[in-house]
Amino acid sequence: MVLEDEILPYMQWLLGGEGSQWGALPQFALVMLGIALLALVVGYLFAAARHGILGGGDLVFQTVSSGFREMLEMSPRRVWALARLAMKEAWRRRVVVGLAVFLLVLLFASWFLQTNHQDPAKLYISFVSTATTYLVLGIALLLSAFSLPNDFKTKTIYTVVTKPVRAGEIILGRIIGFSLVCTTLLAVMALCSYVFVIRTLDHRHQVDEQSLTRTESAGELLGFKGRTTLDAYHRHDVQLDAESSGDSRDGADLGAIGNFGHTHSIRVRGDGHEVMHAEGIMQARVPHWGKLRFKDRQGVEKEHGINVGNEWTYRSFIDGNSQAAAIWTFADINESLKSQEGGLDLGLIVRVFRTHKGIVGQAISGGFLVRNPETGVQSELVTFEALDSKISKMSLQRKQISTDGTELDLFEDLVSSNGRLEVVVQCMEQGQYFGFAQPDCYLRLPEASPALNYVKMYLSIWVQMVIVTSIGVASSALLSGPVAMMLTVSFILLGFFRDFFVEVATGVSYGGGPVESLVRLVTQMNVISPMEPGVGTSMIKGADTVLQGFMLSVAQILPDFSSFSTADFAARGFSIPTDRVLQDLTTCLAYVVGLAVIGYFLLRTREVAK
Amino acid sequence: MSEEIVVQTRALSKVYRDFWGRQKVRALKSLDLEVRRGEVFGLLGPNGSGKTTTIKLILGLLFPTAGEALVFGKGASDVGKNERLGYLPEESYLYRFLNAEETLDFYARLFDMTPEQREERVDALIKQVGLDRARKRQLQEYSKGMTRRIGLAQALINNPDLVLLDEPTSGLDPIGTREMKDMILRLKDEGKTVIMCSHLLADVQDVCDRIAILHQGELKELGRVDTLLTVADVTQIRAKGLSKDCQNELRDVISRHHGELLEMDNPTTTLEELFLSIVSDSEARPGRRAKVEEVADASP
Repeated sequence: MVLEDEILPYMQWLLGGEGSQWGALPQFALVMLGIALLALVVGYLFAAARHGILGGGDLVFQTVSSGFREMLEMSPRRVWALARLAMKEAWRRRVVVGLAVFLLVLLFASWFLQTNHQDPAKLYISFVSTATTYLVLGIALLLSAFSLPNDFKTKTIYTVVTKPVRAGEIILGRIIGFSLVCTTLLAVMALCSYVFVIRTLDHRHQVDEQSLTRTESAGELLGFKGRTTLDAYHRHDVQLDAESSGDSRDGADLGAIGNFGHTHSIRVRGDGHEVMHAEGIMQARVPHWGKLRFKDRQGVEKEHGINVGNEWTYRSFIDGNSQAAAIWTFADINESLKSQEGGLDLGLIVRVFRTHKGIVGQAISGGFLVRNPETGVQSELVTFEALDSKISKMSLQRKQISTDGTELDLFEDLVSSNGRLEVVVQCMEQGQYFGFAQPDCYLRLPEASPALNYVKMYLSIWVQMVIVTSIGVASSALLSGPVAMMLTVSFILLGFFRDFFVEVATGVSYGGGPVESLVRLVTQMNVISPMEPGVGTSMIKGADTVLQGFMLSVAQILPDFSSFSTADFAARGFSIPTDRVLQDLTTCLAYVVGLAVIGYFLLRTREVAK
Repeated sequence: MSEEIVVQTRALSKVYRDFWGRQKVRALKSLDLEVRRGEVFGLLGPNGSGKTTTIKLILGLLFPTAGEALVFGKGASDVGKNERLGYLPEESYLYRFLNAEETLDFYARLFDMTPEQREERVDALIKQVGLDRARKRQLQEYSKGMTRRIGLAQALINNPDLVLLDEPTSGLDPIGTREMKDMILRLKDEGKTVIMCSHLLADVQDVCDRIAILHQGELKELGRVDTLLTVADVTQIRAKGLSKDCQNELRDVISRHHGELLEMDNPTTTLEELFLSIVSDSEARPGRRAKVEEVADASP
């Protein structure tokens, strides 16, 4: 699973501290302060132009002071009344059509989704998450951007603002009302899509009895090898032990067959075998992540491994058959984390980079050992076979053997006094490379509920929906419906490509700033060659400097929609960390508060009857 | 500001500007007004004279270019004033997807009313404006007259001390107009202050205690209706059952005293009174039709 930014503990993320210079809360305060100062200056300039220097100042003071007073006077009863109105409005505007569209999409989705995919759960969950996100964001956008302008157009706002209603109540009521409508839609979509995923992916096989062949060792029957029938566009390899053919074990569980992201139990039934329903289609692995560092081929510690030519430097690689190693240090290790077998379960994702083909489909050998970072005591190397991008599940047994052959206790001898443990992974084959990023190795804690994980995934869509609703409502307090919609769409698009936007704003991306990029585009000039020095280039650079400053300011308030999505966690079978969910909810709250305040002042300073 | 003065404007002016801030029209010029508690005050004037602008400035729907408007001693932009205020706009700008009950319930929720008070008030107002049988119908199915009625009901939802009515009889049939005027007089009897603007002079004359006449944004006349309409040098005598001789004798008397007889004939009733009498008769005796011949004979 790709996790480019480390998920910090919630309080550290909120208040700042180790690893993050600024917490989210100070950042929020700073941005709000900046917006407030900017609004004061712009507001004063407009007021001074109309009412003179003193009159303008007085007007700004009156607006700000009465604004704060009115915000304190806001009544939950009135907010709820306006929220109810917004809900009725949405309902009468046939918002339920959106739900019908979603159900229609689900009905025909199976036609287009490959069920012979290596990991169908990932495909299906990604699909429903994407479909839901776009549909709900679209509905939220249309509801929020057009409601208030429509009230102005039909002048129904006259009968509302002539009641003791504060502008903030109108804004907040709409945000809450439309959010509740979309929440209802989202809940129904979540339920339907969950049933869709589970029911579509659930399947059974039969053991292809004809395919079973005996496996023997020195003439002694060890068991049978074979495969299942082809169902749901795939089949599994089957290995049965010798006892499985006996009819005395009717009903006995013979373990599981696993591939394609799920397993099936096999039981003896009479003369044959019964393959049970698919298990683990949806998983919620709970990872305990560590810190990664590398050693190069000479055994020297490095922050990164080798770059094998990828522009994306998320993963770096270690050479095979050398001292190069990836070393993860896990903190807070104690016996409470132990698995049912008494040791620790380890998950490892390996990207394999081959410099020679070898045998196609054959795994590359690797090895890992466990080490106490305090004493240097380490277990002997355990080998494993790595296939590219596959998640390997390994068990660290409670009893380990040291390099000198003595027995070690995992928690007593290999975990340091301050609860740290190191896992060292190496590639064993000459000329081949293993690539790792920090989240690629983790200790597996007891699995969380996949259904709850699914809810968490939808919660991240909910967060995006509420933010879009807030932007739509706040912008529509000043702008007409279509313009408010365009602005909100711009926020969504820029939010989904925020990283690129920031790269352009900070000049990191190739091709210069927006004006320079436009010139290069029009003149079909490549993005690397420097522009000819001259007055024109100076003007372009100057314009870009101004625009980049503006873009950087916009980036401070731009919601990072791409980072809100947690579909990748759920699709790849990882539990969405609670810290992450809390961070998203807090960010959402910050946007609602900030946008409600902005929306309040926009509506408050607007002539309703103009 | 005295308790007796409910609305006061001081040099209230409004200039409408375009997007670039250039002056488009000067809608109101330095208006000074005082509306006292318990009176029905009329704003009169032709279209574009500044009546509706004045109402909107008083309500805080527009910001004054200069001067100020005070309502119950508070600035027009103070939301707190709206607790004691009811407003019927020129058109009934209501949520057409709600029905009558939902509409009034929504507006009632914006005030500090308990659910019981709300229910009681909504029910009473629906009956008062005669929409009992249409209470569950969405407003988009209402006729204009019905929409005006529900509009009036929403203006009265909080039992306001001050009611602002913008063209209250606009779009109403004669019966509706009469009911609206009766309603205004009833509000006055209850001690409420009513400010209405209209260009239908007869309506204003019927109900208003005082009027202000605006023209091109300027206050042209202000005072009591009865005082303003009294023609000092003309005497009107209305009598019943006078014979021809008596009428001639009256003419002689006027002539002897060097007076000028302007008119002495039988008055005609108003079309409004004729219409109301026919409708009232029709309701009392349904099924009776006018005889076409009689109508034809009656025509000149």
